[in-house]
Amino acid sequence: MLLQQLLNGLVTGCIYAVFALGFTLIFGVHRVLNLAHGTVCTWGALFGLLLVSPNAIIDGAPLTLLPLPLAIVGAALGAGLLGIVLDFIAFRPLRRRRASEFSALVSSIGASFILLSLAQQFTRTAILRFPFGTFPIHVYRFAGLRLSLLQLLMIGLAIVLPILVGFYLYRTNFGRQVRAVAINENTARLLGVNPAAVYLQIFFISGALAGVVGVMIGLAFNSINFMMGESYLLRSFVVVVLGGLGSISGAVVAGLVLGVIQNLTDVYLSTGLSDAIIFSILFVILLVRPTGFFRGLQQDVRVVRA
Amino acid sequence: MNAWIVTYLPLLGAALLNCGFAISQYIVMRAGVFSVATAGYASLGAYTAATLTMRYGVPPPLALLASALVGALTGGILSIPLARLRGVFQAIATLAFVQIVMSLALFSDRLTGGAMGMNGIPQVVQWPHLLIYVVALVYLISALGGSSIGRVFDTARQDETVAVSLGMSVTRYHALAFALSGAVGGLTGGFYAFYLHSITPDQFGFALLVTTLAAVVLGGRVSVAGPIVGAAIMTFLPELARPLAEQRYLLNGALLMIAIIYLPEGIVDTVKYKLEQRKLTRASLNGAGGRHATSER
Repeated sequence: MLLQQLLNGLVTGCIYAVFALGFTLIFGVHRVLNLAHGTVCTWGALFGLLLVSPNAIIDGAPLTLLPLPLAIVGAALGAGLLGIVLDFIAFRPLRRRRASEFSALVSSIGASFILLSLAQQFTRTAILRFPFGTFPIHVYRFAGLRLSLLQLLMIGLAIVLPILVGFYLYRTNFGRQVRAVAINENTARLLGVNPAAVYLQIFFISGALAGVVGVMIGLAFNSINFMMGESYLLRSFVVVVLGGLGSISGAVVAGLVLGVIQNLTDVYLSTGLSDAIIFSILFVILLVRPTGFFRGLQQDVRVVRA
Repeated sequence: MNAWIVTYLPLLGAALLNCGFAISQYIVMRAGVFSVATAGYASLGAYTAATLTMRYGVPPPLALLASALVGALTGGILSIPLARLRGVFQAIATLAFVQIVMSLALFSDRLTGGAMGMNGIPQVVQWPHLLIYVVALVYLISALGGSSIGRVFDTARQDETVAVSLGMSVTRYHALAFALSGAVGGLTGGFYAFYLHSITPDQFGFALLVTTLAAVVLGGRVSVAGPIVGAAIMTFLPELARPLAEQRYLLNGALLMIAIIYLPEGIVDTVKYKLEQRKLTRASLNGAGGRHATSER
């Protein structure tokens, strides 16, 4: 029983990990909390649903369009492009003015409201579902544990996607440019890096990750509504602070830890308490170790007054 | 005319309450603290007022005083650990505080009524009371802002290093800002409970936080008129655009983005700055001749 709960918690944690990965990436490079990340995730789920079964959203559209794997890729592309649009509208004008991180935060809240409202109108405030049988239901049993194929896929994604992002950041030329901009944009510019291109890539990758997570959440809980990304956004604050803002390995480990904590509180204490406990953890970590437990893309984090 | 007033009276009350919350948010932001804890103070204040009057029979004025005290105390305590954090990290920590307050209010249902909230709170506050409260509040805060406290707040906001080098204890003034903001937030929360006579935990969540923040961003962070103008806009604009009721969130979001991109100092402060600039150029044009020369001596 305890082992099964731990396993379920780890699977929940996988979703948190991938969600927080995109969130922490933007902070690591741009030093901006992108509060629109949750709505990008929602839109990713909507794109996925639209590609699998347009009929679920638009009346009179074909019942099925693409198989699920292609739809996931499509959702990632769509959400990635949405991320780029977000960068152009909400962050680029502020970057040009060298505005404070506060301005960028407020601007992302505004953008998130706009996307949220559009999602609400697009879905007509209804709760949508992937058609039955979109994802085959297989349950594997071993050593008394149950694990569905979908959960296996989530675990796989939480392993593969961070490795891909890590490879991109630490083993490719593009990644070197990204890290250079993360450390110091002006120096990077002097060395011939084009920061605009870096931001474009980062916002695309972050959006694409959110899109994949959106489809996963939609499949796992069999419900897609316009608010679905918001609760994950608040949770991902905890993940990124626990792991260290801007850290990839931190986001993954902290995501898993958070998933397990939440599941255990839900089962053994009370569902009502899990939020209080999770956010108390966030509060305590911010006080004890505001830089988190892993290093980010930059080593210094301006948390404590100089 | 009379019918018009009756229709819009509830809106006036809402606008006044929003003014109170916005002023609570404004106090910390003027001091350069990026705290978004106002929604949490409001929740504590509202529940304190409601519980004291309904369960312990405390007269409402005393209950309001208790709300203010609880808010101030919470703000003061919150400022101790938060003195280590700056910027976005303060925002995250205070957001966590708001979430903790909300989930505790949901959880301890024997005291707070849980998700159903508390109903039938004695309706002792009418809009004239709110008006008097907000006017008094604005007077107090602007008097405070004109004193040395306001000047320290301004210095700490613009450059903390300068403030420290001039011998100002930024930590102490930040604590003061937290406590003041908490008192105003808690007191306004208490008024909220007595005016609306029904409260639920989720009324003091992320939505209130964003509306309050938006009011200050829109209006401005330096002069006291800023949060008032901002709160008025945030309350009345959705009503004026009632045909666009579906697009309420869209409108708020677009407004927020336009304000932060094109009017980063807020409406009131931008206008004030422009007027001052004009006055200065005029003065220097008029006095371009002899007066300048004499003042040099």
